[in-house]
Amino acid sequence: MKMNLQTRILGSAAACCVLGLAVPQRSSAVVSDEDFNALKNLVQQLQQGRQQDQQQIQQLQQQLGETQSLATNAVEKADAVAAAQSAPVRNALHNFTMVGDAEVQYGKTFGNGTHNGFQLADFAPIFLLRANDSVLFEAGFDITLQNGLASYSATTPNGNTFGYSHDSGSSTSVSMSFGQLDYIINDYIMLCAGDVLLPLGTYSERGAGWLNKIPDSPLGREFLPGSGIGAMLRGAAPVGESGQSVSYSVFAVNGPSSVDGSANSVTMDGLPNLDLGGNVGVLNSGSTGNLHSSPSFGGRVAWFFPWAAHQDLELGVSGQTGVWDDSGDHYYSAAVLDAALHLGPNFELKGEYINSWFGTTDAGTVRPWAVWAQAGYKLAAFNLDLPLINNVELMGRFDSENDGLGTSIDRYTAGYVYYISNTLLFEGDYEFIHSTGPNAQPPNMLMLQISYGF
Amino acid sequence: MKHPHSCSQSLIRAAAFVAIAVAANVGIITTVRADDAKPSAKQPEPAKKKLTGAELYAVNCNRCHPERYPTEFNSGQWQTLMTHMRVRANLPAKQAKEILKYLKEEAGN
Repeated sequence: MKMNLQTRILGSAAACCVLGLAVPQRSSAVVSDEDFNALKNLVQQLQQGRQQDQQQIQQLQQQLGETQSLATNAVEKADAVAAAQSAPVRNALHNFTMVGDAEVQYGKTFGNGTHNGFQLADFAPIFLLRANDSVLFEAGFDITLQNGLASYSATTPNGNTFGYSHDSGSSTSVSMSFGQLDYIINDYIMLCAGDVLLPLGTYSERGAGWLNKIPDSPLGREFLPGSGIGAMLRGAAPVGESGQSVSYSVFAVNGPSSVDGSANSVTMDGLPNLDLGGNVGVLNSGSTGNLHSSPSFGGRVAWFFPWAAHQDLELGVSGQTGVWDDSGDHYYSAAVLDAALHLGPNFELKGEYINSWFGTTDAGTVRPWAVWAQAGYKLAAFNLDLPLINNVELMGRFDSENDGLGTSIDRYTAGYVYYISNTLLFEGDYEFIHSTGPNAQPPNMLMLQISYGF
Repeated sequence: MKHPHSCSQSLIRAAAFVAIAVAANVGIITTVRADDAKPSAKQPEPAKKKLTGAELYAVNCNRCHPERYPTEFNSGQWQTLMTHMRVRANLPAKQAKEILKYLKEEAGN
């Protein structure tokens, strides 16, 4: 088609040239009317043919444009399909993960006549179920073993009683350390509800076996509730772009209660009457309700200041207050100062000062307090070409407490952590204990522990 | 060793423990750095910049536990874990998002 058009155009041009040569001849030579008219018709026919050719060219160009447009759309569609097919798979909306820790201990307590032995097998999983980007349910459990109890008693006809009571068999205890629903409302507010870990100091939230580095807990934590049934709002805001932040937590929980319901300092059998963890809102009869008239309130404010990687300071102040006896006449309150310092990747120092007080009917205001400070130093800092040394962190701790009921404890601990991996730790420590009072502890203790965080 | 009788005495002993620990650390650092000392002049401090996700990960997570390798969990697990850790450690949202972005980029399969 294209060749024919060009041929016809060239033909037209040639005809024009012929005419151009022919017309001057007419001026100089006689041309008959018939010849003139014949040429005139020929020119007109050529012009009509040229117009038809131009129309045909336009039609062809239009068809070509449409064809190109169709081709472009087809390529775009093909690209879109390819992009869709190559896009990463979206994450599932529901995501279940399990983390936690497990420990086994071996220990020897000196001065109380007991033998040394393996003393603890603890499996503490935390189940995480993420419903979406803003909702998470998490629950932590402690599953531990302990000896069972075998006992027998009988009375002879003359009234004498005899029998025995001895450890026998084993029993497994399962306890829920916390179970809470987390809802991220926005960048600055998170709602936690359920059995919530309470931010009184930092130990309750950061004290898992493989985090603590020393097999047992510091003194004084028994003066504070680890968790509470209720709700908490918390959040944090960055300060600048260097990693600095301030954080807050405020909570309302059922609060502590009294073992026997009274506000006496001890029960009839001499045990502490203050129960920090038993007020769960579901009564023994199955009905619901707080054991006393009002909940407890508390919170924590903290400032975290890093000046370089692994070099930071965290300071926090926290507290809680609320009634604890059934009549609601006496308050339990606690205040905690906590601090943590890192001076490079190999040195860590942290501690808490715990002060609590609760009113009683028989002993006035009881004031348990405690202080602990714990330091760790990784020998990797010496850059020795000795893997056995480089994997060791030396630990030291001083802690002291007074329960306000006559017992005081002063403890000095020296220990180590051997990092088999980043989450598998072999820990050991020796504790020098100086204790007086009705609940005094044995003088010294040796503990070894393998702890695994997963 | 005499048993302390009051809270103030225990606080003094705790403060002494802290002072000894910090002094020992400073002494060790000084010794190690002296061994590694180079003749060059003191390096100028780099200008403060916005921390990356990897840097924020090192800053925040190492406060409580040894750092987990990003390849230990897959992308979806990191999403769940970071939600958990944002609540547990009360991390700022902006920093938590940067850390999560880094962990997802380096996550295992």
